Amino acid sequence: MKILVLNCGSSSIKFEFFSMQDEEVLATGVVEKVGMKGSFLKLEKPSGEKVKFVGDVLDHKIGVEYILGVLSSKKHGVLKELSEIQAVGHRVVHGGEDFSGSVYINDEVIKVLEKNIELAPLHNPANLKGIYALQALLPEVPQVAVFDTAFHQSMEPSAYMYGIPYSLYKKYKIRRYGFHGTSHRYVSARALEILNKKPKGTKIISCHLGNGASLAAIKDGKSVDTSMGFTPVEGLIMGTRAGDLDIGALTYIMRKEEIGIETSSVLINKFSGMLGITGVSSDMREIEEKAEEGNERAKLGLDMYAYRVKKYIGSYAAAMGGVDILVFTGGIGENAINLRSEICKGLAFAGLELDEQKNNTRAKEEIISKDTSKAKIMIVPTNEELVIAQDTYEIVRNK
Amino acid sequence: MSEIITEAIEKYRLSENATPKMKFSKVGVVGCGTTGQGITLMIASRGIEVVFLELNQKLIDEAFQEMREALDEKINHWGMTSNDKKLILSRIKGTLEYKDFVECDLVIDSILSKTREFSKDIRRGVFKQIEEHVSRSAIIATNSTSSVITELASDLKYKDRCVSLHFSTTAPDAQIVEVVKGLYSSEEVCENIKKFAKLINKIPVPVEESPGLISVRLGVSLISEACSLLMEGVGSMEDIDFVMKKGLGMSLGPFEMADKIGLERVVRWMDDLYNEFGDRKYKPSPIIKKLVRAKHYGRKTCEGFYKYDDLGYKLKDQTQNVVCTNVE
Repeated sequence: MKILVLNCGSSSIKFEFFSMQDEEVLATGVVEKVGMKGSFLKLEKPSGEKVKFVGDVLDHKIGVEYILGVLSSKKHGVLKELSEIQAVGHRVVHGGEDFSGSVYINDEVIKVLEKNIELAPLHNPANLKGIYALQALLPEVPQVAVFDTAFHQSMEPSAYMYGIPYSLYKKYKIRRYGFHGTSHRYVSARALEILNKKPKGTKIISCHLGNGASLAAIKDGKSVDTSMGFTPVEGLIMGTRAGDLDIGALTYIMRKEEIGIETSSVLINKFSGMLGITGVSSDMREIEEKAEEGNERAKLGLDMYAYRVKKYIGSYAAAMGGVDILVFTGGIGENAINLRSEICKGLAFAGLELDEQKNNTRAKEEIISKDTSKAKIMIVPTNEELVIAQDTYEIVRNK
Repeated sequence: MSEIITEAIEKYRLSENATPKMKFSKVGVVGCGTTGQGITLMIASRGIEVVFLELNQKLIDEAFQEMREALDEKINHWGMTSNDKKLILSRIKGTLEYKDFVECDLVIDSILSKTREFSKDIRRGVFKQIEEHVSRSAIIATNSTSSVITELASDLKYKDRCVSLHFSTTAPDAQIVEVVKGLYSSEEVCENIKKFAKLINKIPVPVEESPGLISVRLGVSLISEACSLLMEGVGSMEDIDFVMKKGLGMSLGPFEMADKIGLERVVRWMDDLYNEFGDRKYKPSPIIKKLVRAKHYGRKTCEGFYKYDDLGYKLKDQTQNVVCTNVE
């Protein structure tokens, strides 16, 4: 079966085309600047050959049309006929409380997705546009939605409720949802596979550290807690997002700086995090360079970053009554050697002992804890597109 | 890394339909004073290219300088990042020639209106000039509230393409735009203007053709009445503003609002309304006239009803003594 995976953002459409027989990637690419001047489609073939297609891409539907057109073209295509696409998997950011797993898309599901737009006004509408486009262009092809939030739906109320009036939960569904679910699910399952362990009885903490970052506590293969909340701004310090912040401080800032809701949202989402603290950049590599040159605020930023992750690891170990596997993934988690080392310092009490030698590696599956370490520390590069393709395959096959 | 091949995308479309051209990917603005700058920034910040026309290079440079300052101000107040600023400015171009409007789907007239009669003739000229250079489907709009769009459209070859589009530049983040359908404006043009409004994240409010529309007519009336209260000694300037803000939930009091709009503009608007309706209630208050004569226009000159620092922040406890009282 050949499956197209789509990740529609507000002005971009990422795609990856799989042959599921051996889970081979046949083509990958992205349409950028949808609905804007200077839009283009970039295609990357397995050979590494890259082609850029330039021209107006008015909306998501036309963007998808071009993706299909390019994939089925004589010159650059990887399929003879469009009918070779047997299913389409969509990344959908917010499934709300309605979806605890991936689903076959039908009218019912679309209605629920439309209802959930309110919860993710920046993401869900774009995801839906991709679904509508496929419905119009390839009406016979089954579609599947894979949610960022679904994996965390297994959390208990004690973990997902906030300490605010219960009526607000009832009225607006204000609660912790968590994100990066597909990634946490993939890397935790992959870690078990590598270590040849069963989900039952295994306690995993997975650290997805990228531009956005979150931790998840996973027990018996199920997410029991995660650091992102109602929105992706809670939890860890990120590139430009604040992470945990005293709400009282925010209302104080709003009063002092005389700013409103929109602006304060820009403040905590775009001016904060590593960028705000260091004043250097939101890019971890640049910050590390500056810190080595002796930049004090860059050092402070790195210390804060590592400390925040460590604090969460400790609290999740407490939540699960220990930890068996600690997994690092995401651009920073897979590559930042020094940060991993800082994060793991002093965690021996929880049975986590990093082997500095083994830790000296990047972006590949590796066990990096000491042989004597009670719990394993690992690097597992994430692959969300593959999970979407696999889920789509399973759901469509069993339909 | 292998080299990237670049190709045109059009031929990879699935359906035979001609690829629809992007609507409103470029918008023209005539006149880039304070109002024109506000409109330009508002549109450019939504990802649309803007060409603005000015009378000479000096005015273009000044407009750019002031827009840069306006964006810096936003950055300093956490409203956007310096990256956003770069992107927005890269979408804006200044020009001296109408022919640069050739690719625009919409051109908005935002020239300074001295008096209604004076500006009407100039605006008619502007409209004709625009029409000579844009495509048949392009929409021509005015931001003026005193000019009647039907009048401006009457000289054009295609009169159906004109509408009034009034932005609130005193509150650029306000999510509304007043849209006036003239006698000649076609349904299609109105529909397209609604689409444009949505594109720049505004809710279009339909308003009937009438000088001052809603915002200006009601806004100046409030300011005018506030001046009367002040002259009659009913309350102090600060207290009047305070009551309106706290009591009626306005974000600016009437005097603060007048200073932000610019007092010379308030006078111009009122003169226009007075000429149009002949009602004395639209006569500009002597207090405002006095301030305008002294060139105290409000925030932009750092002095109006209140005093301001260079960044436009109100200086505490510094009001103008605008009411002459001989009582000591």
